[in-house]
Amino acid sequence: MFWRVVGAIAAWVAMLVAAGGSSLAGQAPTLAPGATALAGAALYAARCADCHGADATGVRGPDLTRLWGAGTTDDRVFQTIRQGVAGSIMPASTAPDSEVRALVAYLKTLGTTSTVSTAPVARGSVAQGEATFWRTCGGCHRVGPRGGRLGPDLTRIGVTHSADALRTAIRRASAAITPGYQSVTLVTTSGTTLRGLRKGEDAFSVQILDTRERLQGYRKADLVSVARDAQSLMPDYGPDRVPDADLDDIVTFLTTLKGSK
Amino acid sequence: MTRLATIVVGVVSTTIVGLAQQNTGGPTAADLLAGLRHPERWVTFSGDYTGQRHSPLTEITPANAHRLAAQWTFQTGTMTRGRGFEVTPLAWDGVLYVTGSNNFAWALDGRTGRPFWQYRRELPANLTYGAQAPVNRGFGMLGDRLFMVTLDAHLLALDRATGTVVWDVVLADYTVGYAATLAPLVVDDKVIVGISGGEYATRGFIDAYDPRTGARLWRHYTVPAAGEPGSDSWPAGTEAMARGGGATWMTGTYDPALRTLYWATGNPNPDYYGKDRQGDNLYTNSLLALDPATGARKWHFQFTPHDTHDWDANHVPVLADLTIDGSRRQVVMVANRNGFFYVLDRVTGRLLRGAPFTATTWARELDAAGRPIVLNDGQGTCVPDQWGGTNFMPPSFDAALGLFFVTARETCATYQPQAPKLVPGESSFGGVVKRDPDKASGALRAIDAVTGERRWEFAYPSPSMAGVLSTASGLVFAGDNEGNFMAFASKTGAHLWHYQTGAPIWGAAAMTYTLDGRQQVLIASGTTLVAFALPAPEAP
Repeated sequence: MFWRVVGAIAAWVAMLVAAGGSSLAGQAPTLAPGATALAGAALYAARCADCHGADATGVRGPDLTRLWGAGTTDDRVFQTIRQGVAGSIMPASTAPDSEVRALVAYLKTLGTTSTVSTAPVARGSVAQGEATFWRTCGGCHRVGPRGGRLGPDLTRIGVTHSADALRTAIRRASAAITPGYQSVTLVTTSGTTLRGLRKGEDAFSVQILDTRERLQGYRKADLVSVARDAQSLMPDYGPDRVPDADLDDIVTFLTTLKGSK
Repeated sequence: MTRLATIVVGVVSTTIVGLAQQNTGGPTAADLLAGLRHPERWVTFSGDYTGQRHSPLTEITPANAHRLAAQWTFQTGTMTRGRGFEVTPLAWDGVLYVTGSNNFAWALDGRTGRPFWQYRRELPANLTYGAQAPVNRGFGMLGDRLFMVTLDAHLLALDRATGTVVWDVVLADYTVGYAATLAPLVVDDKVIVGISGGEYATRGFIDAYDPRTGARLWRHYTVPAAGEPGSDSWPAGTEAMARGGGATWMTGTYDPALRTLYWATGNPNPDYYGKDRQGDNLYTNSLLALDPATGARKWHFQFTPHDTHDWDANHVPVLADLTIDGSRRQVVMVANRNGFFYVLDRVTGRLLRGAPFTATTWARELDAAGRPIVLNDGQGTCVPDQWGGTNFMPPSFDAALGLFFVTARETCATYQPQAPKLVPGESSFGGVVKRDPDKASGALRAIDAVTGERRWEFAYPSPSMAGVLSTASGLVFAGDNEGNFMAFASKTGAHLWHYQTGAPIWGAAAMTYTLDGRQQVLIASGTTLVAFALPAPEAP
């Protein structure tokens, strides 16, 4: 009847939670593995594919085809589905254990479960890509201890995103903005215009990370306007700004990033 | 010195005697009937039997509300992740009686927030609905007993002075899917309760119990048995009715003159998949008028026939007298999860007024009998989500202004029904709901009760699940999903004051009472209960 309410950014995620007992409720955990994975596939299509992609290689949410390859365990995936990921659009699930187990079983059948290639899946040069990355992207993105904070941290991007998803994210940056990185433009009563990332907002205040990477809170009483920008702070990097060869290099470099934060 | 000591002793003993006299007995049935006429009390969930949640207190006004300040904070030490601390505290003789998540409960000193006692129920590990929503909305109270329902579907009587269990009776088998979360309603010599669990293969009911012994006095099933009135609104020869839902998880209201209890019912089960339960599915998503002596139904009004969106009607039915088309009418008002605001004749159950109070695209009109003219079932393009145009969070009604204050939700969701497998103890929603993240907002709205027109609104950045309280001084207290507890001017909607509580205000509505001559306003949020008041006068 009612479950959890999530914030405005992540409002849609209640779908997964509300789905907590749908068609396959009651799948016994003793089902044959194949049957369980089949059930999981149906559940995946209904509840997960919007964000993780029909082929699970990631859209708004991460690539799920290389989880086991990156060293995760069934239990960890189970718990991530069950508890959600704090600070992201990934909600907690109240689905029966049998359904979560079916999802885990399905995900395990995907992609590079046991034969993980450690070689870059893209076609460029890691070294060139790294150099280009630090020239072009590092001002805003962080890898390990280095880089900026205006864009998402990419330290583990090679685990969570496929090469194709990365290409899309670079070429069409505003197509899918990572939650917490929505750009806002504030105009103060003294006439100053400020731009930053919207980290929080309520009826009376807005919290941003401004373009100087400074966390600042503003009372709306002190602002003339708060506008959510349609465009990401990150521009679309078309071929004019990043030629295809450079893109290959950058993506190749990014797919090698599997470090811990 | 001796004389002074004597005087002091004299004062102390007078005080002790006075308190002892005041404590004797606790609230009687007459005190419950008096409701908010004694503003130093709050004796039942909505303050009184009307469900108006409108206090006569006037110390805090639009002119001074900006000076409201927190007096104390009580930390529960227990919470419901993703849900709320949904209680309305009861106040009696300076003591607050409060229930919390996971079937904790407390008696708190209204002056300091310090606990006198804590109760905690040992709950089984295999809760069903109660594990998904381990909330509780408050006590019922009569004499020296407090009444509380539990997540394993029991009803308890606690001793008001000690918090110990006096009796404990089973409402239903929780392993099947039942749980209980509402604040019981005490009417005369009966404790009236309802049940949760419409997401499971359950059959809803409303029960009355003897406050002395816990003996069940009557049970009213909200879904009929075969051959009973309403059974023709279900497929014949199936099990659909026996597991038809129609839960009763919000506290009802009561008209002592009409001797009528008003109680609402929830969704049919499965929630989203309706093919196996063709028909209107009476008496789900309805308002029932019952005789409190016997539990017999006097009339019903169904808001959402054959619901496939989980749009329970579990709201507080608000009783008032309105002048409509020149004649004085006894009405019951409901701002429903389906997005419509209804005014019914509470003697007959007939529709007097019905109009959308939200931007719902599911239906925009009702027919003469009150049946919605459905435009969009939400399987192709979106309609409001499964939480609806509002939800169980209590609204309020200011009779002097004729305004109904409600937290409205504007959302956009598509529904994908799927045939569920029905297993006792496992939920059976029957499908999936997809919400559009970019089309979700909320508002506090003031609705003219006679015309249904919107007088004002205050917009929230996301849908709120907070309830509403209003006062005779022209204030509305409301909350948002970002955690703000706020005061508005009733006439204009002007924002006057807010306080960031640190967690979404979720399901709870404020209550207010006077303590030592000063008006207090309390709100539950997250793991805290906070008391607000105007600053105390400076000592001379």
